[in-house]
Amino acid sequence: MFAGILKYILKRSIILFLTVVVAVYITIWIANMGGYVDEIVKSDILLSVSQSIRQNPAFKGLNETQITKIINEVYNNELKKIGFDKPFIYRSFIYLKDAITLNLGRALFLSSDSGSKNVRIIILERLPNTVLLFTTTQMILFFIGLFFGLFLSRRYGSFLDRLSVLLAPLSSLPGWFYGIFLILIFASLFRLWFGWGLPYGGMVDAPPPIDKVAYALSVLKHMILPVLSWLISYSFINVYVRRTFFLMFSSEDYVEFAKAKGLPDSLIQRRYILRPTLPPIVTDFSLTLIGSWMGAIITERVFNWPGIGSLFYAASVMFDTPVLVGLVVIYAYLLAATVFALEFVYVILDPRIRTGGA
Amino acid sequence: MSWVITLKGKKRILAESLLTLLFLGVIIWSIPVSYAQVPKGPWVDEVVFSVETDEAKTVDMLLKNEIQVYFRDIRDPKLFEKIKASPDLWYVTSYGLYFELTFNPVGPEFPATGKLNPFSVPRIREAMNYLVDRKYICDEIMAGMAVPKYTVLTPAFPDYARYADVVKEIEKEYSYNFEKAREIITEEMIKLGAELRDGKWYYKGEPVTIIFIIRVEDQRRAIGDYVASQLEKLGFTVDRQYKTSREAAPIWIRGNPADGKWHIYTGGWIVTAVSRDDADTFGFYYTPRAGLGPLWSAYKPAPEFDYVAGKLWTRDFRTIEERNDLMKKALTLSMKDSVRVWLVNQIAPWPARKEVSLTYDLAAGFSGARLWPYTIRYVDKVGGTIKIASTDLLVDPINPVAGSDWIYDAMFYRALSDPALIPDPFTGLYWPQRVKKVEVFVEKGLPVGVTLDWVSLKFIDEITVPTDAWYDWDPVKQEIIYAPPGTKAKTKTIVYYDDNLFNIKFHDGSKLSIADIVFAYILTFDRAKPESPVFDESYIPAFEAFREYFKGFKIVSTSPLVIEYYSDQLYLDAEWIAWAAAMAFYPEYLYGPAPWHMVTIGWLAESENKLAFSADKAESLKVEWMSYVAGPSIPILAEYLDKAIREKFIPYKNVLGKYVTEAEVLERYNNLKKWYEAKGHFLIGNGPFYLDKVDPTARIVVLKANREFIDPADKWLKFSKPMIPEVKITAVPTIVPGLPAEITISVTFEGKPYGKADMSYIKYMITSPTATLTGAAEAVADGKWVIKLKSEETSLLSAGAVSIDVIAVSKLVGMPVLASGTAIVMSETEYLMSELAKAKADYEVKVSELKTGLEKKIAELSAKIDEMGGVIGVATTAIYVGVIAIILSIVAIILQILMRRFK
Repeated sequence: MFAGILKYILKRSIILFLTVVVAVYITIWIANMGGYVDEIVKSDILLSVSQSIRQNPAFKGLNETQITKIINEVYNNELKKIGFDKPFIYRSFIYLKDAITLNLGRALFLSSDSGSKNVRIIILERLPNTVLLFTTTQMILFFIGLFFGLFLSRRYGSFLDRLSVLLAPLSSLPGWFYGIFLILIFASLFRLWFGWGLPYGGMVDAPPPIDKVAYALSVLKHMILPVLSWLISYSFINVYVRRTFFLMFSSEDYVEFAKAKGLPDSLIQRRYILRPTLPPIVTDFSLTLIGSWMGAIITERVFNWPGIGSLFYAASVMFDTPVLVGLVVIYAYLLAATVFALEFVYVILDPRIRTGGA
Repeated sequence: MSWVITLKGKKRILAESLLTLLFLGVIIWSIPVSYAQVPKGPWVDEVVFSVETDEAKTVDMLLKNEIQVYFRDIRDPKLFEKIKASPDLWYVTSYGLYFELTFNPVGPEFPATGKLNPFSVPRIREAMNYLVDRKYICDEIMAGMAVPKYTVLTPAFPDYARYADVVKEIEKEYSYNFEKAREIITEEMIKLGAELRDGKWYYKGEPVTIIFIIRVEDQRRAIGDYVASQLEKLGFTVDRQYKTSREAAPIWIRGNPADGKWHIYTGGWIVTAVSRDDADTFGFYYTPRAGLGPLWSAYKPAPEFDYVAGKLWTRDFRTIEERNDLMKKALTLSMKDSVRVWLVNQIAPWPARKEVSLTYDLAAGFSGARLWPYTIRYVDKVGGTIKIASTDLLVDPINPVAGSDWIYDAMFYRALSDPALIPDPFTGLYWPQRVKKVEVFVEKGLPVGVTLDWVSLKFIDEITVPTDAWYDWDPVKQEIIYAPPGTKAKTKTIVYYDDNLFNIKFHDGSKLSIADIVFAYILTFDRAKPESPVFDESYIPAFEAFREYFKGFKIVSTSPLVIEYYSDQLYLDAEWIAWAAAMAFYPEYLYGPAPWHMVTIGWLAESENKLAFSADKAESLKVEWMSYVAGPSIPILAEYLDKAIREKFIPYKNVLGKYVTEAEVLERYNNLKKWYEAKGHFLIGNGPFYLDKVDPTARIVVLKANREFIDPADKWLKFSKPMIPEVKITAVPTIVPGLPAEITISVTFEGKPYGKADMSYIKYMITSPTATLTGAAEAVADGKWVIKLKSEETSLLSAGAVSIDVIAVSKLVGMPVLASGTAIVMSETEYLMSELAKAKADYEVKVSELKTGLEKKIAELSAKIDEMGGVIGVATTAIYVGVIAIILSIVAIILQILMRRFK
């Protein structure tokens, strides 16, 4: 049996690894538009090099041949610097190797906030900010959904239940949309009415407080509006979905049977509703957690939050393939690892599930 | 009683003291802040930079005083309106961005497709100037945030001012004229073999389709649509291809124009500083000289234009007059060529709070102004914190040798250093900061002029570089190479630095010294030598250009510092030649302040392949690009600082060792170490601000005032605001052909007369259907200029209305100011008739007045007479009464006599 499990683990690992490799390589091709990005980047570089040389007073008065020579030299240096002196197909495998080995390589254009070209540093500098904001928010959302969903499922048809159903469409608008209104009210209008308000955006006051506690409090203050915007947007739908989910499980035969047996409500809830629903809840929780690490592009831009989302945006706009691939490969690995881990978690949580080797 | 007297005395003294204090208080209070408390260094205590990408949010933050200045221009017309309407904000405008139409010149048929390209014909391209209504684009599409642009020259720059009269003529000639455009294009299309059927152009049986690449990121989308509509009105079929910059670039700039994938592209260009000399601009935009790839290679300018552009490109002219002729020709010929049709110059507003004042640059706004750190302040107080937002910050690693060149980084690291010369943000000339005077010697016959009096300019027959001048560097022997005998140069510049130059301190307390200059000299050469441990291949192109011009450097004296600089590089302004010499090896490098000990720790790290100054070398070594402010470079630099202290390391010891002692070396390194321990970074300079804190995660940079700075804050105050003259045509007489005439112009600034010595010139252009008169107005007093037209000039004008255009150029601001008016020209007959009519009218008026006067007098006389009549009546009665009385008296007397007789 142990050998069977081992074989299963190995097989699953290989499949997941190959999936990651294929996904990353497809990402490399998509991010480079099949190599067309080379043309775009080369055009950009040529234009900016020639412009900067023309405007540089040090080069004034040089003849045509000298200028052309300098432009070509600088242009070729720039291409060499970003590895564009080699064909895309060759580079695509370099990118793939860097990604799969988690070396991640060096960014083409972007630098980390502290000035590093190392993709790993670029991502790692932004990751804590994203985790701080979005993982916190997702956790809050998850637990709101879980507890209120369960609570309302037991009060089906009550006023609160009907209210939650009524408010669920609020989630049809994204968090950043509410964010704009929150900024308008709490940052702009509050300053007009009361002379003070919450921050317009950013992560900390400028200048940043020297004291660490004050710094942390300032960060918390800056988190209020982005967190609130997501809570407004996604809480109701979360509660609605969970409530419906629990309602479905509440009407299962074995629950009805437990009720008929006269078991207490809390026991029914814990043993007959929560226990069988745990695998999908844990799956959802895990995937939400991983998803939150990718940040949210527009919300980060609206709130000027320096996270992974805005990095993703900058990398896409600048065609910085190594950064894009780095972001995708981390996500892919995390996803693969989670999917892999979940298969075992299911076994633990639900005795009905058995691994393939059994 | 004595104590009473004493008490009274004390009271009096107390009272007097109080009064004195009150009086002094009133006086001090009444003295303006700028005179009362001028601090050393900058006006404010702190400047905080942060990032905000959303324009609308930024404007709101400005309105709510959350930030005080925005270091980015506003592009949204609605927000601009909001700024203009706010009593709490002010703004300045810059002219750094312009839009145009780029044409594909290949044809008449594209070799790859066989399709017709009408824009291969210069006359059709030229006609496009008539087809576009630039005023419409400015007013409607750009919502007033632009001015029309007809030529390649930028309105705010000196070359525009120099040739403003020619430009104005071009503007008149090429103003919007749809019918003229239709006429020319129709004529040329027929010549090309196209035919117009039912209002549509056909070529070889197919509609003539114009592939128009329209950029979508800004107003060029609407501009493209407008131009496309105009073309459609002429009968062309337009294929509008909306693309972003990156989508369009491979097609128009790198793609082969012969492939026929596009006809027109909505181009946009940017300049980041006031350019004093745009001679090469024609070569760049209209000829293959720029070497930018297939499109440029396809340019085939007319031989005359090519010749003129070529001469201007290489600055092959001996006198200013020759240059003027070439520039004027090029301007006119560029319109005939028109591979580019210029459309508008964007006016970009830069907003700030009303209570804050700072210098701006006419090309690059607030962030590009080198003087902003010296002038930024609250208008009503000294000190305080100013918060500045920008759209980006800390973009690339910062190091002075080959670090970030982004304006988002340069805007703050420039505040940390103090250059020897500072560029004038309004004229592009240089002013001395750490220099007493400069003598520039130029080979005879070269076109160089001088404007400011701190530079003297002399022309001499020949310049020979002395053999004791430094010429190169030997990285193997570690020694200076001297100038070979007989080395010639086109210019020699003697720079006399300030006496107190070496009393200036860097932020870590180290004093600036001759070693900083010698180190800069050696490093300039060493990085280009393959034998050097800091050799950088990517530095070669820039070094080669420098080497092409550099002929020698000599330290004449070290106390005070006097240097000689020999070069072949020419600029039109001697101030620029002075700048090149004074800044050549000054410890402010291209990318930030550079005391030798600070650069040395990076030098050590690069020499051991742990870090690299340039991005290219970092990439080839696969190490970090060096940053002196944050990130993984910092611990490495700290390690090399310790090493330098341990080894008492002197770079290039053979040479530099002669200029520093071991004690000085250690003192400098220890100062830097203390600085690093206190601030956590290595970026030090000698500027008015020091870098106090960098928060890379939150992207915030805090600068604090350097109160050890040598100059008071008001040194550059006069550059807070450009003295752009206000010009008006105040008195316009009727012009009579054959008679002299005078037109008066007023030139003021904020209501006060503009000094005539501060004006470069005022040119005029009087346009009538028969002639155009041009010339220069004469200054008669401060603020008063007169256009004097001679009789032979006025005789050229035909009767009717004539337009007067005036172009005023100040020495204090590079931007020319335009004013216009209308005058009436009368023929001689009309004039005589008018004069006769006037004389008649005068006569009639006078007669009428006389008549009225007479009538009045008569009336008065009548009244008098009437009055007199009454008096006469009374008198007559009195006379009568008198006569009667007399008669009665006589009768009475007679009766009395008779009575006496009877008695």
